[in-house]
Amino acid sequence: MKQLSELATPFASVAEALIAAEGTAPWLKKRRQDALTQFNMFSLPAKKEEDWKYTSLWDFSQQIFNHHTESVEIAADEVDSVALLHDAYRVVIVDGVFSEELSDIDALQSGLCITALSESVDQLEHSLGQQTELTKVGLNALNTMLMSEGVVISVDSAIEIEKTIEIIVINTGNTANLATHLRHKIELETGAKATVIEHYVGLTQDSYFTDVVTEVNLAERAELTHYKLQQESNNAFHIATLAAHLAQASHWLTNNISLGAKLARNDIHSQLLGEQSHVTMDGLYLVDGEQHVDNHTRIDHAVPNTTSDELYKGVLDGNSHAVFNGKVMVHKDAQKTDANQSNRNLLLSRGCEIDSKPEMEIYADDVKCGHGSAIGQLDEDQLFFLRARGLDEVSARSLLTYAFAVDVLTRIPNHTIREALAKVVEQRLPKTGEKE
Amino acid sequence: MAEQKQQIEEFVPQEYAAGFITDIEADSLPAGLSEDIVRQISQIKGEPEFLLEWRLQAYRHWLTLETPEWAHVHYPEINYQDISYYSAPKKKTDGPKSLDEVDPELLRTYEKLGVPLDERARLAGVAVDAVFDSVSVANTFQDKLAEQGILFMPFSKAVHEHPELIKQYLGSVVPYKDNYYAALNSAVFSDGSFVYIPKGVRCPMELSTYFRINAANTGQFERTLIIADDDSYVSYLEGCTAPMRDENQLHAAVVELVAMDRAQIKYSTVQNWYPGDENGKGGIYNFVTKRAACRGESSKVSWTQVETGSAITWKYPSVVLQGDNSVGEFYSVAVTNNMQQADTGTKMIHLGKNTSSTIISKGVSAGRSQNAYRGLVRVGPNADNARNYTECDSLLMGDKSAAHTFPYIEVKNPTAKVEHEASTSKISEDQLFYCKQRGLDLEDAVSMIVNGFCKQVIRELPMEFAVEAQNLLGLSLEGSVG
Repeated sequence: MKQLSELATPFASVAEALIAAEGTAPWLKKRRQDALTQFNMFSLPAKKEEDWKYTSLWDFSQQIFNHHTESVEIAADEVDSVALLHDAYRVVIVDGVFSEELSDIDALQSGLCITALSESVDQLEHSLGQQTELTKVGLNALNTMLMSEGVVISVDSAIEIEKTIEIIVINTGNTANLATHLRHKIELETGAKATVIEHYVGLTQDSYFTDVVTEVNLAERAELTHYKLQQESNNAFHIATLAAHLAQASHWLTNNISLGAKLARNDIHSQLLGEQSHVTMDGLYLVDGEQHVDNHTRIDHAVPNTTSDELYKGVLDGNSHAVFNGKVMVHKDAQKTDANQSNRNLLLSRGCEIDSKPEMEIYADDVKCGHGSAIGQLDEDQLFFLRARGLDEVSARSLLTYAFAVDVLTRIPNHTIREALAKVVEQRLPKTGEKE
Repeated sequence: MAEQKQQIEEFVPQEYAAGFITDIEADSLPAGLSEDIVRQISQIKGEPEFLLEWRLQAYRHWLTLETPEWAHVHYPEINYQDISYYSAPKKKTDGPKSLDEVDPELLRTYEKLGVPLDERARLAGVAVDAVFDSVSVANTFQDKLAEQGILFMPFSKAVHEHPELIKQYLGSVVPYKDNYYAALNSAVFSDGSFVYIPKGVRCPMELSTYFRINAANTGQFERTLIIADDDSYVSYLEGCTAPMRDENQLHAAVVELVAMDRAQIKYSTVQNWYPGDENGKGGIYNFVTKRAACRGESSKVSWTQVETGSAITWKYPSVVLQGDNSVGEFYSVAVTNNMQQADTGTKMIHLGKNTSSTIISKGVSAGRSQNAYRGLVRVGPNADNARNYTECDSLLMGDKSAAHTFPYIEVKNPTAKVEHEASTSKISEDQLFYCKQRGLDLEDAVSMIVNGFCKQVIRELPMEFAVEAQNLLGLSLEGSVG
């Protein structure tokens, strides 16, 4: 059997209760029911599945998660202190529940619409689930059958949203072992432009589960800049899917920064469906202790004349384990594709493990595709250079590690966001030199 | 299209029947696989008890396995009960009597490849004694090798003459439990080559040369075992550049190499089996397990392969770097045309300290073929200062062909340096224009560009085969551009 079927948490019965609940639209009931059937069939993938070769969900499957939020109390200044940006449209979800008073979406620019999923789900019959068809089946079914909150963002055509939208998802630790199932939807109409940050924060070091699926749909010439900053508790489970459809001449820049969680798994999938569309897919993971981070990315070049550029970097310390799997798929007749992919890893300590698998599948001939993967250490010559100039061992190592990591942020166009993220990264870097 | 068709016709002459000559006198066994068949094979070959036991263990294990499906290849299910696991060689009288009777298209191919005249007849399946007496030639070589204590003989002979070596090394690199086809091979292998190079001996000749003259084919399930003792060196070449037709659909060979302290083994393969027709009908399934163990410190194993034939190639010559300071190398050119499928690459398993490996893989896909590189670089927790460099490039010709790259990199040691680079491109119009403008015709231009693309690998081949391999590349791709 290629699946884990003995789950400690009764996800299926929670879903049954949701389906039975009154007031749910019939189409959503059906959607959840279908997802439940699928989940019962596929359940959680076991390590025998190629996509889960290096990541075990065994520990996760043995956790008993709670689906009932007890209290959503949190001080307003605590939200301020975790927020990445201060001048932004802020959407706050606390322990799986949208908080109107903590959010700041009252005075939106015209042409922009931001709502909580719990309030607007009835209007999403035709748009929900359009982008996720090619990603992990069982886990996406889990999200569909249980999704209870999320953020729905839409931008009208030709509107450029000046302020950044920051979605802050906080786990307060008020409810032990809480499971939250979130579904975000971002729709940009023709020529629209926006910047969105998904920000996940754990306030404690408790165990909990964040399950999130984000769907992105970009119409012609739309441009979305998207960041994901994951700072979950070091005992949390974070399983996420991010899937986008790109129409003609649309641009998607996504940067995925993974710092927290005991187990973090991201499936990021971009489908270039219109000519001249482009995706920049960057990511950074800094892991330490017993952390495990797994990034699976996939870029589908489905039509001619599309481009993609991908850079993922990782710094591994302690006994951490990182997995990178990047797939570039050039479909038949997708001529003039230009795809570039790179994965670089810095290993700082004995005990860490990296499994990197950059993949290419190419079915067209007039293409320019390349990928690279490198694994190594801090360069002794560079260290010597810095030491010769008076830096002590620890500072020299920190500086070089920072330089390695921050490279991923250089492609961020917005100065404020770049600085804010650089600061977060700097704080998270290991402070000590290598212990031989 | 017409051009392509013409190429197929010259490449795969239909009238040419399998013409391998071996001296084993035996009858065919009926199709099917069972314990009885395994026992009969062992009996025909008069094997000692331990080998029969081993075959049976492998067979029993094979029964518990499922066909692997992870490779990026597609083919109809193989019915293992339809295959005859031991077939008598073709009678000498079946072949053409002289070169005059051989299909002129085939002769033209040999000419293009630059195969020596004597060998052409042999390759075309002309009865041996009608051409020249290869046995005497072989014997001269045999004497020269024996002087230095080198053992080079058919596997079945080695089983009788050196059972202690067979017992010690057989299955020590590729155990019968390794994979589906290795288990199958272990149960039913017919014959193969055995090489033992004693301590401190540098094998004075390319074993390849001899191999090609004397034993062009060792059957469907061949098994090769090469042992290089301390401080020895051997270069071995299997296969042949000339197109060989073979009725056996499935080839599941196993090759085991063992390199002791400071020993070096260079293993080169040129494979050009029948690739099937332009619609993918027929052709060989080449499912091979090749693995080398660098057991001793500072040992070195180098795999070089040029793969142009077979309908499906499924092969990953690997090196297990156990000894400290050991070195593994893999140089590969895989060319696929028409409906061919190749899923090939290597595994470099770093276990010892200061081990290093290099992987250079060049894939050329034309027609409607599928060409995949699949490689694994693994650095174990104790393999301090391991170093790997991987380069895999693909060249696409024609918009129906496909090229894939599936590299696996697993590192558990922070002192490891691993680099992987891959690129995909096509022959540009500019390059072609440049060549044509200087008076080269299209075929020659393509051949020249492809050869340039593969140069890094070709130059690793022993001299005499490098020349033939270059011609072969041009020939395999004839008619695929333009």
